[in-house]
Amino acid sequence: MTYVDDTNAQCAADAAAKFVSWYYNQINEGKGISNSYVTNNETYKNAGHPPADICVNGQVCPTPEDWEKLLAQQREAPKATTDKKHVNYVVDTYDAHVINADYRFGATQNLIDIHGVNDGVRMMIMVNVSGTVYFGVSKRSNEEYSVKQHFNDVFILVPNWDTLGKQSKYGKKFLISSQTYRAY
Amino acid sequence: MAPPTGPRGGGNRNSKPTARTSRGGVAKHRAAARTDRDGDVSMGGPTPGSNPPTGPSGRGGHGRGAGRGASRGSRTSSRLAQNLKNYIGEGGSKHAKTTLKILGIKNSKAASNPDGGVKSLLQFIERKADKHKHIVLGRGTLEGDYVWVKANKDDVASIMHLNGYSYAGAPITIEETTEPFPTGSKFSKEAADTRQKLLALLAKRYNAEQKLLDLSALGTDDILGNLGAIGSQSLAEKSFRAIIHIAGEQFKTVEEKKEGIQSVSLASNEIGDVDQVFTLAYSLPHLRRLDMSNNKLDTLSKISKWKHEFRYLEELYLVGNPLTSLTGYATEITQWFPCLQVLDGNVVRTPQEAAEALKAMTPQPLPQLPSNLRDGENNVASIFLRSFFQLYDHDRVALATQFYDAESLVSLSATPEPGCDADWKPYMKYSRNIQKLGGSRNPAVVQRLFTGASLIAEMWRSLPATRHATVDQPELWIIDCHTFPHLADPSGHGFAMGLMINVHGQFEEADTAEELYGTRTFSRSFILGPSKAGAPHPYRVLSDQITLHKWTPRAAGTASVPVVAAAPAAPIALAAPAVAGVPVIDDATRVQLIQELSRRTGMNAQYSELCLSGTANWNFDLALQSFEEQRANLPHTAFTATA
Repeated sequence: MTYVDDTNAQCAADAAAKFVSWYYNQINEGKGISNSYVTNNETYKNAGHPPADICVNGQVCPTPEDWEKLLAQQREAPKATTDKKHVNYVVDTYDAHVINADYRFGATQNLIDIHGVNDGVRMMIMVNVSGTVYFGVSKRSNEEYSVKQHFNDVFILVPNWDTLGKQSKYGKKFLISSQTYRAY
Repeated sequence: MAPPTGPRGGGNRNSKPTARTSRGGVAKHRAAARTDRDGDVSMGGPTPGSNPPTGPSGRGGHGRGAGRGASRGSRTSSRLAQNLKNYIGEGGSKHAKTTLKILGIKNSKAASNPDGGVKSLLQFIERKADKHKHIVLGRGTLEGDYVWVKANKDDVASIMHLNGYSYAGAPITIEETTEPFPTGSKFSKEAADTRQKLLALLAKRYNAEQKLLDLSALGTDDILGNLGAIGSQSLAEKSFRAIIHIAGEQFKTVEEKKEGIQSVSLASNEIGDVDQVFTLAYSLPHLRRLDMSNNKLDTLSKISKWKHEFRYLEELYLVGNPLTSLTGYATEITQWFPCLQVLDGNVVRTPQEAAEALKAMTPQPLPQLPSNLRDGENNVASIFLRSFFQLYDHDRVALATQFYDAESLVSLSATPEPGCDADWKPYMKYSRNIQKLGGSRNPAVVQRLFTGASLIAEMWRSLPATRHATVDQPELWIIDCHTFPHLADPSGHGFAMGLMINVHGQFEEADTAEELYGTRTFSRSFILGPSKAGAPHPYRVLSDQITLHKWTPRAAGTASVPVVAAAPAAPIALAAPAVAGVPVIDDATRVQLIQELSRRTGMNAQYSELCLSGTANWNFDLALQSFEEQRANLPHTAFTATA
């Protein structure tokens, strides 16, 4: 009856673990994240997928680059000083649910044939991340912050068909199709 | 046998090869024994096949550098060999060191040597301790009557053998000790003396009441004068650095130092460039008052090295410096120090402005906008949430049967602060924090994922009773939702639209079993999708994840759940419509007020006007206050472009 079984739950947990560790490391180091959204993926674009829905503190970002800009704005103090202070995200918890184990949008028939609904591959996953964001800390420690906030980030991830077709261990296995961020 | 009274004859020396292949890894590459001209790097050891000597006598037979009288080597090169052995891991690195105390040197003839005889005593021991093995001692230190030295543990037995021997006409006593090796004085006598004098100077010049370190007019200071630190510029700078360093040392922690020295005066020191006293910025970064008056700073560049320092400096005195007559001097200096409120006795900032300026130098959180509801036209989210929390508080079984089906997933995760697990007891056994569980191999990842309405209802039943505020109190909630495509259609054909809802809020909790009562803050995410045929509602919950975290009282300011405007479309909570006909203030005054508020807050004219015309009712102070309160909630479009 149900296609939600252990494999999918475990694969979703693993995918979430990889994704969360990669994502917050990128933004803590001020590195790019825009390539991890469906908006910038040719396969999804060609299949007619709408841009990723990104909503940050109630404000909709039309493109991942806009979210990157907000992160950069948040990272830089308005007045640059020599001892540049940083913003650091520390994840306390995350959880993941498979919300569609038979995800097939934009997939080739071949991929659909190879990966069954219980294989933990063609999954649409909701990942829910919570933690603390520290403002004005040095890169080494979170001790001397000026402000700290609780943050909650909810993603919907969809398979990256480009890397699924290959056996490569590199490349993102999932892409972000929705992100809702709140920090308070 | 009688204690040796001095260096023995050559035979004994010859019997002792300096190093051997058995220990000296370095030598392994060498095919044949080699002795250099001095005989000290005779590490080549014996020719292949010849074993290290084992016999006690060793008369003549083994000494490769035999007859040269030099096989004992100099201390330096033997040490080099030992170091090499240590480096390649065959030597002493695996041997623990033992500290030895040797008494008797004071009575020996060697006591009159320039180093008190330490070197020759150690050489003596190295030479005599073991006939068959070259022993290398550490550097000796003469402390009182004792010579302290470290030796390899393996060698101690041989060295102790010399206990009672006489050296240079006096018997020596060797004992092992566990006392800490004397580190010796870090300072020379002169340095220690100087240090004492500088401490005296500090004591004289530190005012504990005012937390002031008065280092003004050091040029006329007797103590420094006596030290001869005044005549030359470099000496003066050095002594300043020493003074600042010693002053800093008097406090154990950064906090104590910050508290202990709040003011420093460097007045009348003929300082021509702050470079000369730059270390002050490193030693006392939290300084609040600084007097630099009557020095010789003549341009801004002479003080610009401090531009990014002293972030918390509140008062600065530069009167009596030529640069004070420069145009724009005060403005420039004020900009450099964000907290500066008093410059040369003139108020340049209010405390509020100082706080603002300091804030502007640290990264700030993104603006907080109200709930963002994009749930299509039927208000599905608010209708759903209204029933959801009502039922969750009163009848969870009914809730599960109404909105959940066999495919629904529920999990929760709790994030207790360290040491507070007890407060979270009812939740911890269900907490599916994948990070904490350590990934998918932990069976709890599967066990704590509740699938299907009946399991979900069962889990919910064991959770404490809750009371959520009604959704009609928008200030207690943040709700973001949007529709998204590509869920599986329950009919099994094609795609369906989904609705994602993220809720942030808080609930009262009553755990009657554990007698725990309180409030918790939560974030809860739902994925709603179309129901299967025959379900009570057209949509069902596919996924429901709740994260519980520590409750922060809403009065505590920015860390609390932010205020959300009732209507999601309203850009700003305080933007009440302008009250018509406020009599007293004419239009010109309003324009002025708007301009002033805009200047002070950085908001654009439109928002400044909204702010003034709202609850503030054109009271400037109230408007400013309300701006401060709502600042975090303002969209960035409310501010004039600063880029």
